[in-house]
This record gives sequence, structure tokens and C-alpha cells, in this order.
Amino acid sequence: MIRGLSLVWVVIVALAGCYLLAHIHAGFPLRTDLLALLPREERDPVLQHVNETVTHNLSRRIVVLIGHRSRDAARAAACELMHDLLATGVLEPSGDALSGKRLKRIGQLYFPYRQGLITPADRTSLTANRGEEIAERAMAQVFGVGGIVNAQQLRTDPFLLLQAFMTDLPIPLSSLALDDGMLTVTDRGIVWVAVLANLTGEPFALETQERLVGIFERSAARLRSRYQGLKLKRLGAVFFAQQGAKRALTEASWLSSASILGSMALIIAVFRRFWPLLGNMLVVVVGIGVGLAASLWLFGDVHVAALLFGTSLIGMAVDYGLFYTTSIFDPAAKTPAERLQLTFPGMTLGLLTTLLGYGALMLAPFPGLRQIAVFSVIGLVAAFLTVLLWLPQLDRSRQQPPGGRLLTAAERTAGFWQANRWQPARAALLVLAALVAIVGLLLFRTDDDVRRLQALAPDLLRDQEEIRGLIGATAANQYLLIEAIDDETALRRGEALQPTLTRLVQNAAITSAQAPAAFVPSAERQAENRQLRLSALEEPHLARYLATLGLPQAEAEATVSDGPVLTLREAMGSDAVPFLRDLVIGPGLHVVALQGLLSAEAVRAAVAGMPGVRFVDPTADFSRLLGQYRIRAIVLTVVSALVMLLGLAWRYGLAGSAWVMLPAGVAVVLVPAFLAMLGQPYTFFHAMAQVILLAIGTDYSIFCAEGASSTRLLAVWLAAMTSLLSFGLLVFSRVPAVHGFGSAMLIGIIVSVALAPLANRARRRQRVA
Amino acid sequence: MKPRVYFAACCVTLVLGTVAPCRAAPPVEGTTRLLEGQILRGRFEQERHLEGFQTPLKSSGTFLLVPGRGLVWRTEQPFAVTTVISPAGLMQEVHGRETMRMPTAKLPFMSKLYAMLSGTMTGDWSALASAFNVVRTPESNGWSLQLTPLNPDDPNLPIQSIRARGGKLLDQIELVKPHGDRDRLIFLNQKIETARPAAHEAALLEAANQR
Repeated sequence: MIRGLSLVWVVIVALAGCYLLAHIHAGFPLRTDLLALLPREERDPVLQHVNETVTHNLSRRIVVLIGHRSRDAARAAACELMHDLLATGVLEPSGDALSGKRLKRIGQLYFPYRQGLITPADRTSLTANRGEEIAERAMAQVFGVGGIVNAQQLRTDPFLLLQAFMTDLPIPLSSLALDDGMLTVTDRGIVWVAVLANLTGEPFALETQERLVGIFERSAARLRSRYQGLKLKRLGAVFFAQQGAKRALTEASWLSSASILGSMALIIAVFRRFWPLLGNMLVVVVGIGVGLAASLWLFGDVHVAALLFGTSLIGMAVDYGLFYTTSIFDPAAKTPAERLQLTFPGMTLGLLTTLLGYGALMLAPFPGLRQIAVFSVIGLVAAFLTVLLWLPQLDRSRQQPPGGRLLTAAERTAGFWQANRWQPARAALLVLAALVAIVGLLLFRTDDDVRRLQALAPDLLRDQEEIRGLIGATAANQYLLIEAIDDETALRRGEALQPTLTRLVQNAAITSAQAPAAFVPSAERQAENRQLRLSALEEPHLARYLATLGLPQAEAEATVSDGPVLTLREAMGSDAVPFLRDLVIGPGLHVVALQGLLSAEAVRAAVAGMPGVRFVDPTADFSRLLGQYRIRAIVLTVVSALVMLLGLAWRYGLAGSAWVMLPAGVAVVLVPAFLAMLGQPYTFFHAMAQVILLAIGTDYSIFCAEGASSTRLLAVWLAAMTSLLSFGLLVFSRVPAVHGFGSAMLIGIIVSVALAPLANRARRRQRVA
Repeated sequence: MKPRVYFAACCVTLVLGTVAPCRAAPPVEGTTRLLEGQILRGRFEQERHLEGFQTPLKSSGTFLLVPGRGLVWRTEQPFAVTTVISPAGLMQEVHGRETMRMPTAKLPFMSKLYAMLSGTMTGDWSALASAFNVVRTPESNGWSLQLTPLNPDDPNLPIQSIRARGGKLLDQIELVKPHGDRDRLIFLNQKIETARPAAHEAALLEAANQR
């Protein structure tokens, strides 16, 4: 029967292998966005949708500034770069800039509706009955030098209110001025030309990133050598994402190489034979291959973080192989069947507890972590099945005498926990552990700030700051959300919000805000504006004003009270104000973008209590959610520990089960204490490490509890060493989240394996009972 | 009226409109360039001919050019308004109340306005040379220039022609726009001084240069 099952397993593994190869051949679909790792906002689907749209729009943007002392050089370089970037096919020029063409389209859009369009400041003057101020301003433009006025304008809009409205539109990026078709800013003798573009593709798709950044870097290098002294600054989520992905991939590949090579060296050193190495490698390759194929099949793509964390799977997948292969040292097991019999209970119990640990990860509402969990669970089951079905069939080894320093070391630690002469030392160690726990507890602090969990490239951060300094404030991640039953109501709410926004600008909490209502007043407001124009401006001032100009009154267009109304749909369809489409997420769902946000608290407080308006801070929300999940992860650890305790009691009795759980339990308590003493704040990722640690540590204990032979100890030590070579190596990651995870695992594994022999007491007690 | 034309026209009535990139062009021979620390003062008369208006809109006043800082136009007749054109944009004041501020960023053409005006008033036509075909004719007591756009269909440059006359300094400039509008500026009593602008003028320039 075993033979039959192993053949079935051969077929499954072969299918998984073919599936994987076909995908690798077709281009491996890797995802790189950190957001995928972050929790989903479950409670508010509207906010979730808006957040995704806003974040997507923001992350599509690219700003490149090209600076040179010579204006011509800067312009020529900017043209070449834009040409190269557009040739990638993943970019389109951004509509943010106010080009001549764009101004013309803005004029075309607003002209037919001019009588209903008045700036908020002009409205204030008119409602306060100060129409003469507007008449004076128009006179100043007509008679002043450089005044922007012509005959047709004076006929169609005598008081030039439309011009004022268009000038007042809160169009972003205001430090950049159009210099002969190119957005330019001059700073300390350097002319900076801006290249603005939007990605047409997905900024977090590795292929888009590689294509764009590759071409960008080649183009930049060529331009730098052509124009001496050329400076280039770039800003955009795609650059950060590409650097992050590159780093994660580099780390994943060197960490997995180090992990594999280290484990190979270890196995060769201990077994001094080829077969155990081959057998264990087979287990690892099958485990990872099947896990990867399953993830691809289930999710359609693989997250780069799953790959990075998945590397650590190597260390766990090899455990089962090691438990089996180490049994060739056991004098009690002379045939493969006996070896399997000897190791099977421990392996199975170990697998079950590990699956329990990873199963907890699967419950977390983090798509990325779920993928890690699926990858790991399926990979581990595959590794287990390979050991069970294949290794005994391939095993031709005879029983060997164990040896080596590792065994000696393992026996010594076991002796430390058992020999009576070490009793005082054990007591001292207990006191020390308690001390560490207490001191650590006092120093314990948490940090859920999602920004500190990613490693953003410092050169890109510097570019970002410099670009912000040069072009003025850029769009903040935070925004205001207006919710209403329809667009008209939302526009009215936006208008009610306007005075608050003006006050926030005056108080320097923000530099500007873009509300849809500023671009398209509500129908109600447009009708009011027409009335105001008639009663507060034209009736009292028009005749005298036209007489001064010498324009017959019949030639000047008078306001009609029921003229056409500009609608949001028309404005969005016109392409005149392209970013309006980013602000209107759906009917009655409007975003007010904030530029140069300095005080989030002031904005939050200012809109508190306004109906249908709320301040959204996605980063803070994510951080808060991470905090919640950190707490849930801790609860999860406690619950898993209790479930394991009860499950193991079935085999070892309650007291025995407590002994088996003790090493991992101590590790889970001491890890945060140690980390606190090292000054590392406790994050969600530490909590997740503890969940896994509990599973792994219990694995070691169970294997020790299943027998006291030195070969078992050796197997546990080998397993721990390989785990250190995989999980422990993550401590070298430059991504703070991964580094934190790695350091927790490193400390935890060392503590668990050192204490593992204690679990042997469970068996003894059972035997006594 | 077509809104396209309306808006283009609205943007370009900024005396000199927009121009394409400047390539180096030599100053008109015989004109005076201001030296470091010098300012130019004088009177101006403006005639704004608007199509269909009964009479041209005439205004007059004084001007001050401070290189690097800006141009202050004080219109006295028939309506008192101060206009400051600086590298940062255009600002207008009526009775000490700011009525308009048009930063260069809000209107693309503003960015060149100062450079062109301050240049042309001292004979430096380089800011216009790349967008216009320049024909120079020497005259008995100076020179005259006729500028026509290299690309007459450029929607960003609806200027039909620029005519200028001068000697040591620019004496008169006329801008012809589509649909029969045109502006003429005449400069009188021009004096180059080696002095600082007066305190109130300095304050105006300061205010105008604030972005």
C-alpha cells in the first residue's frame, strides 16, 4: 500500500513540478506591494474602496525633476527623458500640468456656464454688498498696464468674474510655472524642469517596475554623461516599490542560498555520507516546489514577502527529513521500516502542532500573510509526505555509530537538565530567566507605526524631500472624504466645507486643498451666483462701469437668471481638469485632496462633527489596525498554547503535556523580554513570530518526549540548527519587519532547543504513572 | 464667440503675450543697457484699442524699472491703479488694496512677462527673437522693428505683430492682436538713475515678489 501511495505522490509532485515550470517559463508573476501584506479594513467597505482608489491614484504618479545651470540643457534632457519613458509604454503624460492646451480646455469647459461661476472671495464681497470692489478690480485690469483683458471678454463677462474664477481654481503643483511648454522652477541658479507622468500599468507589478526603472536609469546615465552637472530627482511609489522589491529579492536569494548551503554543510558534517544529504535535499525541494505551485494555483501570483518568509520554510521542511535520517544512528532501528516506526509518532505530532501554528496565520486577514501560511502549510505537508512515502523506499543505509561534536554538545545540554549535580545551576538559571522576564517587562514597549516597518531607500527619501522643497507641497496620503446620497448633496457639503479649508490654509495646517466643489459648484450655488451677480453687481454698477469704458450697454451681455448649469459629469467628461476624476470616486462620494499637510490633528479637529465629512489617514488607520492584530496575535498564541496543551495531554497526561509545552512556553515569554532589553519595540511581526515559535518549539519538545536516545537529541539539534540557518538568518534583513521577525525567531529557537530535553520528563512521568 | 479664442485672447492680452524659448540674440545696436545699481524712470501713455468700443481707452502715469526686482506702473489717469510686474508674477493695487495677484504658476505666460518687458525697454529683444521674425529698419534718429510670429497659427501666441520704435531707449511699442484689438505704449521723459527705489516703491516690489 505504501508503494502505491508513494507512486500517487510521485504523480502529484510531477504535476506540481510541471505546473511550476510552465509558470516560470511564462514569467513568474511576483507581487511586490507592501499594502498586500497589510490588513484589510473589514468594517467599512466604502472607506476600503475609497482608500484603494486614492492610494492607487497617488501611487501611479511620477515626478522627475531635471536640473541644470543651463536652461537649454535642462529642457533638452527633460525632452529626451520623457521620450524614453513614454517609449516604455507603461506611462502616459500627466494632466496635472497647466499647459496652454490645458488652459484652453479649461476655458472651453467653463465659458458657457460663466454666469454661475464666482470665486468664494467674490461671493463674500457680493453678499456683503461690496460690488464696487469687483468693479474697481475690473477697471484696474482695463486701464492698468499688463491687464488681462480684451474686447470680447468685456462683452461676454464685463466684470471679468470668469477670469477670476479660473485663476482661483485650486490646481496643485503651484511652484512650477510653465516656461515655453515645460513646467519649470528655478532655484539658486539651477533651472529645474519637471517631467510629470502617470503609470498606465500596475505600479506594484514587478514587470512594470523593472521596465520603467531600467529605462529610467539607462536614460539618466546617458543624460548625465551628455550634460555635465545634470541633476535628476525622482519621486513616485513605483521607484520605492522597485527598490523594495529588488532588495527583498536579493535578500531572499542570498538568504536562501546561505540557508541551503549551511544546511548542506551541516548534514555532510554530521552524517559524512551522501545519501542523507540527497534525501534531505529531496524533501526540501519537494516541499518548497509543491508549496510554491499550490500558492500560484490558489492565488494566481506570489508575493515577494511570501517568497522571503517562505525561505524560512527550508529550515522547517528539512526537519522531518532530519528526524528520519538521524535514526540511522539509532541501534534500535536497523531497517527503514523500523526507522520510520521510531520517528513517525514524533513527526506526526510535530506536523500537527506546526500546522496549528500556521493555521493561526491563515486566520489573520492579511492577504500576504495568508499566502505565507498556505505556502508553508502545503510545503510542510508535502515535505512530511515525502519523508513518509519516499525516504524509507530510497533508504539503503545500514545502522551507523553516531559521533561528532554536535552529538556531544546535545548530550551535554540534556545532561544539564537531568544530572543532579547541575541542580544549583538550574535554579540560578531559573532566577536569571525570571529576572530577564521582569526587567524586559519593565522596558517593554510596542510600536505599530507601519512606516517604521518598511525600509524605504534613503536616496529616494532624499529625492522626495528635495522635490517637495522645489515644487512646493505635494499631495498628502491623508484626505477628507465627503459622503452624500448624490453628487449635488456632496457638492453642497463641499461648499459648506470651503470656509473651514480656507481657515486651515490661513493657519498653515495645509497649503491647499482640492475639493470637487471648487471646480464645479453645486447647481444650487450656481443659481445663487446668477442671482447675486444680478442684484449685487449688475443692477448697482454695470451702467456706470460701461459708460466709463465706452461700451454701449446693449453690447454687454447681461446675466440671465435661469441659464445652463455645469454638471460634475460634464466636467469629468471634458478632460479639462483630469484630476477631478481622482477626486470623484462615485456618485456622492467625493475626496478632498490635501496638499502640504502639516497638522493632521488640526484638520481632524476642524472637520469633526461636520455631517458627511471625515478625515481619513490611511497610514494611521493601518498602524492602528496593526496594533489590533498585534493584540489578536498574542491572544492567538495563548489560545494555540492551550489547544496544544489539551491535545498533548491526550498522549502525555496533563502534567506531561505541561512539560512538553514548557520549553516553547518559556521561549515565547522570554523573546519579548530579551527584545525589550535590546531596545527593539514589539510589533505585530514579533507577535507572529511567537505564533510560529510556539509550533516549532513544541515540535522539538515532542521529539524529545518521544524518547531519550542521543540520536533523538541529535535530530532535534540538527533541526534547530537548520531552523536557525533559515529563520535566524532573517535577522540580517534590512526590512525592519523581517528583521524583527528574524530576531524573535533567533532568540526563541535557541531558548526552545536548549530547554527541549526538559520535555523528556513528560515521558518519564507517563512511564511512572 | 468661440470660447477657445476667448480664452486664448484673455491670456495673451498681457501686453506681450507668450513667446517660445529664447535663444541668444544680440541687443539692438545703439541702445543703452542698464548697469548694476541703475534704475529707469519715466512717464507712459497707454492707448488700448478694443474692437467695437467707441474710443480707445487711454491711460497715463509713471513707471519705474528696477532690474532683477520688477516694474512698477502707476496709472494716474483716468483711474488710479498700481501694477507691479515682477519675476513672481503680476500684482495690482487700487487705493492700497490688492485687487489682483496673478502668480507665474497660475498663468504660464506670466513667467516671461517680466523678462520680456524689462529686456525690451532697454533694447534686449532676445526674449522675443525665437518666436518672431524680426525686421530692423534704421531711422534718422534711431531704429524701428517689426516683429511677426514665426508660427502664426500657434494657439498660445495669438499676436499678429509687434511694432517698436526707439533710439537709446525704447520709445514706443504697439501690439496688434486678433479681432482688431491693439495696445500702444509710449514712453516719455525716460531717465536712467543710479539710485535706490523709494521706500514705498521698494515695499511694492517686495510685496509683488512674494510668491
